[in-house]
Formats: sequence, structure tokens, C-alpha cells
Amino acid sequence: MSVNNGVAVDVRNLVKLFGSSKALDDLSFQVREGEVFGLIGPNGAGKTTALRILATLLLPTRGSVKIFGYDVISQATDVRRIIGYLAEDAGAYRNLSGLEYLSIMARVYFRSKNEALEAVNRAVDISGLGDKIHDKIKTYSKGMKRRLQIARVFMLKPKLAILDEPTAGLDVVHASYIRKLIKDYASKYGITVIMSSHNMFEVEYVCDRVALINKGRIVAEGTPDQLKTFWNASNLEEVFIKVVDIG
Amino acid sequence: MGSLLPLIEKEIKDLLRDPRIYIGLLAPILTMPILGLVISTIMQSSIETISREGIKVAVIDLDRTSTSREFMGFIRSLGLNVSEFPPLEIEDAIKELKGSDTRILMVVPNGFESNITSFRKAQVNVFFIVKSTGLTSIGIFSVVENVLNAYSKALVESFISSKSPEVNPEDVLNPLTTVSYTVVKDRVLKVSPGVLFNQFFMSSGIIVPIVLMLVSTSVAQIAATATAVENEEKTLETLLTLPISRYSILMGKLIGSAVVAMLGTIIFIVGLIVYFQSIFSLPIVAEEGLTISLELPTASFESYVMLFISLLIAIFFATSLGVIIGALSSDVRISGSLVGFVQIPIMVPMFMVIYGDVRSLPLALQIFIYALPPSYPMLIAQSMFFTELPFEVLLGIPYSAAFTVFLVYLTSKLLVPEKLLSLQHKLLMRRMKGRTMP
Repeated sequence: MSVNNGVAVDVRNLVKLFGSSKALDDLSFQVREGEVFGLIGPNGAGKTTALRILATLLLPTRGSVKIFGYDVISQATDVRRIIGYLAEDAGAYRNLSGLEYLSIMARVYFRSKNEALEAVNRAVDISGLGDKIHDKIKTYSKGMKRRLQIARVFMLKPKLAILDEPTAGLDVVHASYIRKLIKDYASKYGITVIMSSHNMFEVEYVCDRVALINKGRIVAEGTPDQLKTFWNASNLEEVFIKVVDIG
Repeated sequence: MGSLLPLIEKEIKDLLRDPRIYIGLLAPILTMPILGLVISTIMQSSIETISREGIKVAVIDLDRTSTSREFMGFIRSLGLNVSEFPPLEIEDAIKELKGSDTRILMVVPNGFESNITSFRKAQVNVFFIVKSTGLTSIGIFSVVENVLNAYSKALVESFISSKSPEVNPEDVLNPLTTVSYTVVKDRVLKVSPGVLFNQFFMSSGIIVPIVLMLVSTSVAQIAATATAVENEEKTLETLLTLPISRYSILMGKLIGSAVVAMLGTIIFIVGLIVYFQSIFSLPIVAEEGLTISLELPTASFESYVMLFISLLIAIFFATSLGVIIGALSSDVRISGSLVGFVQIPIMVPMFMVIYGDVRSLPLALQIFIYALPPSYPMLIAQSMFFTELPFEVLLGIPYSAAFTVFLVYLTSKLLVPEKLLSLQHKLLMRRMKGRTMP
């Protein structure tokens, strides 16, 4: 059993070394249950590495990470039961239809056939792909693929959704659609979300709280309003530039 | 098991619908039946052309005797379409024939009859005018040679009959009849060992190793590409965050790739059968092969079971190697360049088995061959028809099963993203370093 006291993600003094290079340097932050938490920072700041550790894909060199009280190293299987992970630029099996892909992923995740079927129906609804859900994935545009992936994550109703750059490379229409999906379904299903992004307007629109990460360390943290006030900025982009310059 | 089935389904559907698989796997497989079909069609049409039009032969009879006319009558009676040419110069006759569809010119010289009647060697000059090297030409030339041999034999028989009417000319021509027997296991076959070995050498000594080599390299390639695509598309990353064991993910890939490879193998074997049937349907070969095939030695049911088990193990072994290569490759191009290494443990035993008796090899080579699971189906196929399966081959089955299970276990241990990502990173760095080196 895990005790989390309303904390969904608890990251303490996290260090990750790749050979001699330090990707994360004493990183600490917390995400509360039901929150949409944004991790923003320049390229190479350590966002993807941090999210991969949360998703049990990478092992920390030092420090601890707990997801709803479960340790990502010693209780990785328990963690995997409650998370949904979307990698940056994640693809799907090109030769399957969208529906087949969702069905296979649901059957891998759920033991019960009914649960899997319900999840697939949910995903078809979330994706908004309509009849295109029967088409092969290789015929999908990048935006459609991303909608499918977001649907795949939310159909599982995970306690924590880990989204790495969910709108990277998308046009305005699809990016806006994805942002709305995240905001709506996180709230509808009570899912805690931690996401990384380069888009400050997106973060301001979607996230309840934000952490700015630079060179593997948190350099600022708070709600978008708190950050703007503290850094005397009109938007998060200004905050970002000021913080990164100082960092 | 619950999560394994959808993973296998995913693997099979994704592979069978991938056009690259058809190009990479089915193209060489389909080559065999297509080749067989083309060859048999060409042969059939050549035979039809020859029998429809007859073989046109121009004859210049310089002897102009009753014997030379009998000669022309004889070759005409055997189906040649003979037309007599006036006594031209050879060069002129050939020049004239080049513009026609007659490809044979026979010149019966002066003295033909007198030589024959005085039991001296007579001569017929035959000019084969080559217009192409196709099967029809080869067929025509061999038919004409056979007709001339038949005339020569008819002459001998007639001489013998005229000198000694009580003697059967056949007995004089072939005074010694050899009946060959070959003993295989506990059976005595009325066939010469040479013919038998040709038949079996072709089937179990060459075809099985080649089929196995092709299937194993194809399956390794399929598994490597499929795994590398998973890396490239980050679908493996997604799978690894699901609450399923790494072992299930690996087994899904191994079984999926193996099923696709098996389908490919079946098509390939059907193709091979079509190919060899068309090749061996030539009248001369078929006549001999037919009598032999009725008497072919059979292998025991147990040896077929052993062959099947060893084949499965070899395919799983090759698939595991493919998955390792694919897992270490961050994209398909890298896996494509690395997968060639998998062919080494498959090609080496194949050549050793085809060209030699393993027991006669130096000890180090023997150890090398017995250490590799793909060797066993080849060794079993080589000996299953002739002897009991050798002791070392029987021992090799559990050994190669254990070795393959160990390899699968190692592969599943490799499917830990921490290791994978750092190994992929190292490989990529090494390649980039190699490119920037002067």
C-alpha cells in the first residue's frame, strides 16, 4: 500500500548522469492530485529525462521519485498500473487501423474484456477521428496521430498522465484541439497530468502550476499568475526568458 | 498469456501488412516458383514447337547411292523434315540456310555407300547453324544427334544380323549387364549409389540447408527491422510503460516474427517443389527419377519430429538475434547495416554441411558447428535417410533448446530501457565518431 497525502508526484534530489554528463542535477518538485503540472525549459534542460524516470523508463542515478506513493524503482510494476505515458513524437503501428491499435493497447492494459471494450469506445470518442478510426494509421496526418495517442493515454483513465511535448510540431488547429482534450479529460476523469512543453501560451492555458527547469534544476515554480507577478512579466514567455538568462 | 495474445496479434498484423516484408521476404521466396514456371513453360513451348513444325534438315547428297537414299529415308522415318539440296558449295548452302528456319545441314560425301558396305567408317558432315542459344535450339541439336546415333546403331545391328542371324545384336553390343544395389539402413535398393546420392544430395544435403539459411536470415531481418521500427517510432517506449512483463513483449515479437517466417517458409517450400518438378520433368531425367522415387528410403517419424523441433529452435534463435540487433538500433538503417552479422552463425554451418562431413573436420570447427543451434536441422536432414541420427545430434537438441532459451532470457534482460537507451546512444556515438574521423 502507498501513502501519498494528496501528492501525486514526489521528486526529491533527483540526479541522472549519462556517462560524465549530468542531465538532472538535484531536481525536486511535487505535483498534487488532480493538478495539470507543466515542466518547461530550453532544449537539453532535462525535461524528457525527468519524464522518462517518472514513466519507469530510466533509472535515477540518485534521489527518489514516488508516484502516488509508489517508488519508481522498487515498485515499477505498480507505477505502470496507474500511469499513461506519451513519448515526444510517439508513433503507432503504421499498418494497423486506429481502432485496432487502441483495441490492442486496451487489451494489453486491462485484464477484463469488458473494461478493454469500454476503454476503446471511450478512446474513439476522445480522439474525435470519426470514421477515420477504421483507416490505417499510415494514412493519418501528424495531428490525427497525436489525437490517437492522447486518446490512448486517456482511455486508460490513468491516475497520472505523463505527456512529453504533446503538441510539438502540430499546426495551430490540431495543437489547440489537443490542448482542449488534455484540459477537458483531465478534469472529467480526475486525472493528474504532468506535461512538458516549449509553448508558453499552451502552458499558461492548460497548466495549473508550472516548474521552469534549466540545466537539470528547477529554477522557478508556481502558478502562471504567481510566476508572472514575481518576475514582473506580462506572460510566461517573458518569465521564461528572464529565468533562463539568470539561470 | 492475457497480454501476450494481443501483442502477437499486433506483431503478425503489422508485419503481414507491411509491403517491405513482401519485398524483403516474399520476393526471394516467389522467385523459385516463378523461375520454375518460366522454365517449364519455355520447355513445354520448345517441345511443342519442335513437334509441331518438325526439325527441318537440309541434305546435300554427294554420294547419290541407294544407301545414301536409305539414310535419308531412315532419318525421315524418325520425324526429321528432310529436304534435299542440290550439290552446292558448303559456304553457299550455309548462306542460303541462314535466311531460312532450317538449322541443320547434312552433307553425305562420296564413298558413303562403299565405306559402309566394306565395313569401313563412313562419314556424314553435320553443320549445326546456331541462331540462338535458347532451349529450342539445344533441343533440336540433341534430337538430331540422337537420330544419327540411332542410324549408327541400326547399321551395327544389321551387320550383326547379316553375319550371324542366330545372335541377338543387343547381346553383342552390351555383353555385360551390371545390376547395382545400394544398402541403406536395413533396406536393399535396386539402384546405383550415384543416382541415389544425386537425388538425396539435392534434397536433404542442399535444399534443406539453403531453405533454412534463407528462412533464418529472413526471420532475423524481420525481427530486427520490426524491433528497430519500434525504437524509431517510440512504440517500444510506450509498451515498456505498460504493466506487462518485458518477457511478454519479447515473446510477442519472437512468436509474431516466427509465425510470419513460417508462412514464408511454407510458400518457399511450395515454390521449391514447383521449381524442382519443372526442372526434373525433362523426359530423360524423369524416366530415371520415376523408378527411383518409388524405392526411396524413408526416414523414421521420430527423425521428422526431431527435424521439426530443431527447425523451430533454429528459427527462435535467429529471431532472438534479430531482436537484439533491432533493440540496439535506434533506427531501421542502423539495424539494416548490423543484421548482416546474424548471417555468420547461419551461413558457416550451412557451407560446412553442404560441402563436407562434419566429423572429418578439425575439432575446433566441429565444436564451432555443434555450438550453433542452426546446425542441427541441417545435420539431421543430412543423415535422417541413411543412418540413425548420430549421438551428438541427439544431444544437440536439448543443448540448442537451452542455449536459445538463455538467449531469449538475455534478450528480455536487454529490453530494459535504461540499458537500451545507453547502448543505442553508445552505438550512435561510435558511428558518428567513425563518420567524422578523417
